[in-house]
Amino acid sequence: MPELPLGSWVDASVDWLQARFSWLFDAVSSGITGLYDGIDAVLSAPQPLLFAGILAVVAWWLRGLAAGLLSFAGLALVDSVQLWDEAMATLSLVLVATLVTLVIAVPLGIWAARSKTVSAVLRPVLDFMQTMPAMVYLIPGIIFFGVGVVPGIIATIVFALPPGVRMTELGIRQVDAELVEAAEAFGTTPRNTLLRVQLPLAVPTIMAGVNQVIMLGLSMVVIAGMVGGGGLGGAVYKAIGNVDIGLGFEAGVSIVVLAMYLDRMTGALGRQVSPLGRRALVKARAAVARRRTARLWAHRPQPVTALVGIVVLALVAGGTGFLGGSGATSTAASGAGAGHGKKISIGYIPWDEGIASTYLWKELLERRGYEVETKQLEAGALYTGLAGGQLDFQTDAWLPVTHASYLEKYGNKLEDLGSWYGPTSLELSVPSYVKDVKSLADLKGKGDRFKGRIVGIEPSAGMMGILKDKVLKEYGLEGEYEVVDGSTPGMLAELKRAYDREEPVVVTLWSPHWAYSAHDLTKLADPKGVWGKGDGVHTLARKGFSEENPEVGAWLKDFELSEKQLTGLEAEIQESGKGKEQEAVRAWLDAQPGLAERLAPQ
Amino acid sequence: MSRLQADHLFKVFARRPADETAAVRALVNGADRDALREDGVTAAVVDASFVVEPGQIFVVMGLSGSGKSTLLRMLNGLLEPTAGRVLYDGDDLTALSPRALREVRSRRVSMVFQHFALFPHRTVLENAGYGLEVQGVPRAEREKRAAEALELCGLAGWENSWPDELSGGMQQRVGLARALATDADLLLMDESFSALDPLIRRDMQDQLLVLQKQLKKTIVFITHDLNEAMRLGDRIAVMRGGRIVQLGSAEDILVRPADDYVASFIQDVDRSRVLTASAVMTSPEAGAEPDPDAPVAGPDTLLADLCALAAEGPHPVTVRDSGGVTLGVVRKEKLLAVMGGLATEGVTAHA
Repeated sequence: MPELPLGSWVDASVDWLQARFSWLFDAVSSGITGLYDGIDAVLSAPQPLLFAGILAVVAWWLRGLAAGLLSFAGLALVDSVQLWDEAMATLSLVLVATLVTLVIAVPLGIWAARSKTVSAVLRPVLDFMQTMPAMVYLIPGIIFFGVGVVPGIIATIVFALPPGVRMTELGIRQVDAELVEAAEAFGTTPRNTLLRVQLPLAVPTIMAGVNQVIMLGLSMVVIAGMVGGGGLGGAVYKAIGNVDIGLGFEAGVSIVVLAMYLDRMTGALGRQVSPLGRRALVKARAAVARRRTARLWAHRPQPVTALVGIVVLALVAGGTGFLGGSGATSTAASGAGAGHGKKISIGYIPWDEGIASTYLWKELLERRGYEVETKQLEAGALYTGLAGGQLDFQTDAWLPVTHASYLEKYGNKLEDLGSWYGPTSLELSVPSYVKDVKSLADLKGKGDRFKGRIVGIEPSAGMMGILKDKVLKEYGLEGEYEVVDGSTPGMLAELKRAYDREEPVVVTLWSPHWAYSAHDLTKLADPKGVWGKGDGVHTLARKGFSEENPEVGAWLKDFELSEKQLTGLEAEIQESGKGKEQEAVRAWLDAQPGLAERLAPQ
Repeated sequence: MSRLQADHLFKVFARRPADETAAVRALVNGADRDALREDGVTAAVVDASFVVEPGQIFVVMGLSGSGKSTLLRMLNGLLEPTAGRVLYDGDDLTALSPRALREVRSRRVSMVFQHFALFPHRTVLENAGYGLEVQGVPRAEREKRAAEALELCGLAGWENSWPDELSGGMQQRVGLARALATDADLLLMDESFSALDPLIRRDMQDQLLVLQKQLKKTIVFITHDLNEAMRLGDRIAVMRGGRIVQLGSAEDILVRPADDYVASFIQDVDRSRVLTASAVMTSPEAGAEPDPDAPVAGPDTLLADLCALAAEGPHPVTVRDSGGVTLGVVRKEKLLAVMGGLATEGVTAHA
């Protein structure tokens, strides 16, 4: 079979689209960002508990007292694990995605229900959209729209659109043909047949579609977190990246709370807006009314009462939100300095030296009056974001070898601010209790002991490419060993697990790394020099950054850490635990008198 | 003037419109329906022509697949005829724009469906008022007229119920009320009583006849039940394979079936409830005064009632019109022969 360059055609067309229609993508991007920011601003304005109260009253009205109380308890839990802002960001993301999806899906569904041709054309397209793994959409998404919430929302929309369209079409098509004929027989116009007969009767099915759209949106939240979508998805991604079970669980539970709330409320809303559903509700309530205890829990306020309650809470919330807002501005203003509140955004891959250096610069720049935002990203997304200008700089580029492929692709849109650490080395390592393996050559013939696996890190990492393409070949390990793609934290967790049980394991590692101080490991020698000479860890900025920010540019160019400093900082962060990186940096800086002044002179 | 006239109506379903007109030409030239089917062309209605007078109940009778429902749907433009015309009070429905056609459907023709087709998301009153709502009648008047129509159909007091709370018979009364509320002259009824169980069906037939006496609508009624056709129809069209095979009164069909197909149909019909004295009477013998003790019946007396009268004594039953003029006599032998389905010759049909 000749090779079909399908991938490169898609590549080429994506490039072409980006070049030709960037104005369109920018418009879409700013539209969605605006919508997202607007909704997020409204949702995050009130005090968390007040807003939880508003949501609980909605639940009380739609489903009864028990649902109201449970909603409040669930939302209070989200607030108490300090994930309220993330939860509201996620809620905004889901709402924006749902809104846009429905605006597209419902008319499409109606059109498909009324035209066999449209339906026949749409079906394979929808199948394609739904079955294509959603993460695939993220790649062009980042290229077109840059990192942040937009590609996440776009991927969510593409992913959630099919059930929305399908359920609308199904809902309308399943309306009894005799009813439609009856409407026509009495001279109803097609438009009114749709509005008075088909749509009202299709509402339960359409609402089931809305419900699915929301649930799919929530399931996409984590994936959106990988491209800087933030919110609970970002928290989950961070937790995965750091093997932080606690944070992962908290964020996961928060997503579950949101999912359950949205699921139950859209279900109830579906019954509420559908004429038939309303009738079923009345009947069910009449049945419940006969049992006294059930009556209490199922009690639902009159819509007017509920509305008054929501308005009162909203007014209170608006008032406190306003006060809280002004409080927030005053704290931001206190960090005055050379930066004058100028915004800088740093991207990082959750590798230890990346986390350490990123939070070091976040702390330093904030001390100098900049407003710094950090975004944890996957390596590919990081470079795309930097090239596209959504990120200002990153501190973890391994050059000239490991990240060469990215530089090749985006080099002309990036600015190398020089190496701040080096040389580094890449290697495979085994625990030192594996006595007879000291060199890469020793691995040959011992595949069975290691279950034929080399525990790798992110497939996008440069060293993974070198390992697969060169190292295995040069040492004749191909076929005997399989390189397992995963993540740095996953690799470290696997190393720890095997180490604790004294099982043989081969992992990909690099120096410097705190793992060498935590465990007793043997770096496998590379007599053939396949891994290449050590890289320097470089700081890369978007093109034009140091021109616009000469001061920061100069600081970054002069940035340098010794191995002792870097491993010390990494260890400090490791000890403090996740989520306290910046505190760790502060403590470490305090123990290094004058360092802050040297790195970022005032 | 006739209220409704079907003029050489054809309805052919094919994949391409060109095939449809070609098929109509072939049918006109005597092509067979089954031969067309092999080409993927379905001739649902073939050359149907009839006239319905104001105030008449015109029944179209046929088994499923005979094209009767298709025919009905061409009468209000739900289906466009492939060829032929539908004249309604002289207006050619097939020539109307969609908008004008909708206007006709909303004001002048209404329809009652087999499975009631009530809107489940509307109350009984809202269902009955649907046609008026389409016409744009203001709410207050609409509700008043809908309530009147419901009362007419014996549903006073059920206005605020929901369709699914009603029995089948009551649901169809709502369907009837919905059709009557618009004051349309022409009522199309598509197997309207077929889904009801026999007792209720009979009730509904009776009620329709009572209403018809009062309202004098023009009704086209579709059924597959010949007994129902005979009971309701002033005139009956029997359809088979898309064609009207016989058109006439109940007695015409019963007494002189056009072909074996119709004949096989009427075997199960209860003649005693269809035929009347005028169909079986013979002229009184010249000069012979009827026996004064002989029982007397009118020309419209059903055979079932004649049998009861004949059983009272030895004499033949005398048939007199409302003016007291003797029209003829009905002999027992003749009565028995006709009831048994024999000796149809000599039985006169009065259309």
